[in-house]
Amino acid sequence: MKPAAFEYLRPKTLADALAALDHEDAKIIAGGQSLLPMMNFRLVQPERLVDINQIEQLNQIEKTDTGIRIGALVRHAEAARSSLLAEHFPIIAKAMVHVAHVAIRNRGTVAGSMCHADPSAEWPLLVTLLDGEIEILGNSGTRSAKPFEFFLAPLVTEIEETEILTAIHLPLIANPCRMAFDEIAQRAGDFAAVAVGTLVCVEGNIFSEIRLCLGGVFDTPVRAFAFENALIGQPASVESIEAALPLVLKDLEPNDDIHASAAYRLSLVSALARRVLFDTIDEMM
Amino acid sequence: MIDSTAFVRPKYVGKPIRRLEDPRLLTGQGRYTADIQLPRTAHLAFIRSNQAYARINGINLDEAKTLNGVIGVFTASDFTHIPDIKAVSNMENYQVTSCPVLARDVVRYVGEPVVAIAAISRYVAEDAAALIEIDYDTLDVAVTARDALAKNAPKLHDKLASNIILERNFATGNAPVEIANAPHKVSGRFSLTRKTSVSTEPRAYLADYDVGKDELILYDSTNIPGIVRDEIGHLLNLNGNQIRVIAPDVGGSFGGKGSLYPEEIIVADLSRRLERPIKYVADRLEELTASSQAFGEEVEATLAFDADGQFIALDAEIIGDIGAYSIYPWTAALEPVQVASFLPGPYKTPVYRGRVRGVCTPKPPTGPYRGVGRPMAVFVMERLVDLAATKLNLSKVEIRRRNLVRAEDFPHRSSSGIVWDQSGFQECLETAEKAVSKLNLENRKKKSNKWIGVGYACYAELTGIGSRISVAPGMPMNTGTETASISIDATGAVTAKFGIASHGQSLETTLAQIVGEELGIKPEDVRIIQGDTAFSLHGTGTYASRSAVLGGGAAIKTSRALLIKVKQVAATLFNVDPEQVETGDGLIFVHNTNHAINFKELAQAVYSDMKTLPMEKRETLAAQESFDPFLGTTSSSAHVAVVEIDPETLVIKLQDFIVAEDCGKLINPLVVDGQVHGGVAQGVGVALLEELKFDDMGQPITATLADYLIPTSAEMPPMQVHHLETQLPPNPGGFRGMGEGGTIGAPAAIANAVADAVSHLGLCIDSLPITPNKLHALIAAKSKH
Repeated sequence: MKPAAFEYLRPKTLADALAALDHEDAKIIAGGQSLLPMMNFRLVQPERLVDINQIEQLNQIEKTDTGIRIGALVRHAEAARSSLLAEHFPIIAKAMVHVAHVAIRNRGTVAGSMCHADPSAEWPLLVTLLDGEIEILGNSGTRSAKPFEFFLAPLVTEIEETEILTAIHLPLIANPCRMAFDEIAQRAGDFAAVAVGTLVCVEGNIFSEIRLCLGGVFDTPVRAFAFENALIGQPASVESIEAALPLVLKDLEPNDDIHASAAYRLSLVSALARRVLFDTIDEMM
Repeated sequence: MIDSTAFVRPKYVGKPIRRLEDPRLLTGQGRYTADIQLPRTAHLAFIRSNQAYARINGINLDEAKTLNGVIGVFTASDFTHIPDIKAVSNMENYQVTSCPVLARDVVRYVGEPVVAIAAISRYVAEDAAALIEIDYDTLDVAVTARDALAKNAPKLHDKLASNIILERNFATGNAPVEIANAPHKVSGRFSLTRKTSVSTEPRAYLADYDVGKDELILYDSTNIPGIVRDEIGHLLNLNGNQIRVIAPDVGGSFGGKGSLYPEEIIVADLSRRLERPIKYVADRLEELTASSQAFGEEVEATLAFDADGQFIALDAEIIGDIGAYSIYPWTAALEPVQVASFLPGPYKTPVYRGRVRGVCTPKPPTGPYRGVGRPMAVFVMERLVDLAATKLNLSKVEIRRRNLVRAEDFPHRSSSGIVWDQSGFQECLETAEKAVSKLNLENRKKKSNKWIGVGYACYAELTGIGSRISVAPGMPMNTGTETASISIDATGAVTAKFGIASHGQSLETTLAQIVGEELGIKPEDVRIIQGDTAFSLHGTGTYASRSAVLGGGAAIKTSRALLIKVKQVAATLFNVDPEQVETGDGLIFVHNTNHAINFKELAQAVYSDMKTLPMEKRETLAAQESFDPFLGTTSSSAHVAVVEIDPETLVIKLQDFIVAEDCGKLINPLVVDGQVHGGVAQGVGVALLEELKFDDMGQPITATLADYLIPTSAEMPPMQVHHLETQLPPNPGGFRGMGEGGTIGAPAAIANAVADAVSHLGLCIDSLPITPNKLHALIAAKSKH
């Protein structure tokens, strides 16, 4: 379990990093929490590693005109501690405790988790739920992608090998709302069998906005649109949630793996969806 | 003057002394095999079979051999001078398997070493491995033990009569008839999936051959250095004084480092041939696919009992999936045969029939694993006991109380032939029951919307086994003797040498407590040397809960022999009778006199100062004694698990764990607690998490720690450990072994607790690990019917 030989570059600027990526089989390394195990198994054998940890402007969490910008090098632990995120997106700190273990949260990055695109991982789910935008820098400038465009398949995104994910933008939510997150893994810190996040806005005792996002049940995080659409405009009550809940499972066909069968995952989706939704209305009522 | 009325000789045995190893091991100062750096070391990587059973058509080494940095590439044809590894046995109905150090002609499991590559670094060795092509012809094979048992199953070893390489029958009375006539019976088919040890430190070997002296030093992450020396000496044709096996700090074994492996033989051989140090450190993938594995057993069992719940008879069919080879030195009988011999447990079960068969399958060999055989035996028996209690509507405690061997019954010969003697069977259960009553579970159940279950498990184990019986059934090797050599050197310092090999058991502390107490010096002033064959004539190592009983017994005998010499010399110096001489806290003295010297002054008088003592009184301050408990000691325990299951997610949470145990005289309660905690943690893994899985082709599909789940601190419940010292056994010190017990009781207790929690659903908990996913499947299957 030793990696094949590779060239190692550590640029100090984004321009240098882009130049370094202009090479066959170059790969960015940030926290290394997913890449290094794969390299040790020789499942990936990049010829060149471009270490972006020295690029200072990438490690900020900052407020912009429209939302919060989380730099590519922000670690899970930093996101969990951020007062700015706690103020606007308290769901992030709730989700971060489920990301592996302390040592991994100290090293692993938000952008790394996005690029690794594990369908059970917390960040892809959060960014999908919060309708974030992914900021990508390439030789022709900066572009942005929505999560449903960005995530293509398990461990596959649409980012080019010559591009750098520089930040995640999370737009502020205009209306007062509640968010909740929960997941089930066989052990604390394991990849989730199922993870569920929700965002609920209630105006005049009516659900004005509902988002429910599921991880671990499809190739990418998925929104339960049928359920959401059925609930919007309904009275904000346990009864309306229960009535719409079967729609969460609509069209879901999760895979079996050695830790969780498809049937078990579906049962978890129902249980966790109910749990997070009740959490949000408990807080409001 | 030392006033006899005021002086109390300090006691060390029984005290919670902090571990003497801790300052070293907890501050990163430990020295493990991989830490040892020698100049000119060549590093080994192995190419391992990626096929379960296949013929090797050809291996293309050309490209690898020419890679820069490669020192040598080796296949089976380079090791024709080394005999195959063969674990022989005295058992009838046993077939010896032949295990070549590198696969020859055929491979028999995924992970079997086929090619060894020596290079200037492990990186280069793995680069070379990537250039080697092995051409295999896949052969038909039966992957599961059940399939391999079939008459027409393809044979894994051509030369053997069948895949069934061992069979043994136990019979006391006529169990089938008694069962047929019994008023009540319960049955089940139970299975324990394969596990593996997962030590923090993987296996590691470093051989350093001294050409000039023709002497080989093998640094070896093992818990059986003496056995490794003896057998590698035999295989490589070296005398014992030409090979020295040193187990430096060893980061756990749990049985996984307790057998002889092809890799350590190859490392030793190549160091001689290449005349340079050779190092091999297994990685986690290799640990999970090519170190010895455990369990893999299926037991069909029936327990018959009368209307009062008194056991009448027990019947069991045991199939052990022993893997590709019978492991050296223990043989494949080690695990499954002990399932059969320990199945009746600590209960009076007058009639018993057990048949055990060990079947070769294309999987890594099974070997020792903490608890050996008994985790499965206890799981089966304790599930049957609970089923019986349910059937009679009897309390789970009461049915056990009625059947456990009582104090007045000792010595009790169980129906499988094991003799239980003086141990707190009933007392452990009673203590556990009291502890449970304090948990106020009825109240907890009322308040909770979760399913709460309580599970009991009682067991007894033979520990500190002497020369009368082998620790592995049929193994022709004496594991029942330990020797201690204790000396006082010219500076007055005490060194005690043993053949045991601590790999987490705290033996540097506990043996120092014993020697210190016996000689009258502080434990921290005793240097314990162990894990090095240069310092023991014969010693098999640390395993089978033997080192406290055997090593501790030898320490007491030897210390006492040495103390006689100390007193004789001091008596001459003081001009008193030796019987008047006392020792304590580093002093040698006569009460109520001014006669007092320390050990340094004594040593000086004996070794250096040529005036004080006449020549004939200058005793060498050294002693060596062996101890053999002949039979062994009976340790016992009652475990209780409390689980809480979330009805919606089926997440199983351990809420409490109680252990009441009788290991005789405690040497150090901190160490006993630590062993119990660790053992229970491993049992939690057995019960709820750990499972090595193989697909239909025999491919392992749990080859990383993301797939093979071991318990972490987050999965551990609050734990209570109650120590009972009922009647002490007659061996020196009154110690019993206890290193494995945690792993023996916990799986059964947790299984019973889960079964109790889901009793309203009528589910059978008959296979471990039981997981939320499996519970979901069981519930789904039940609702279909």
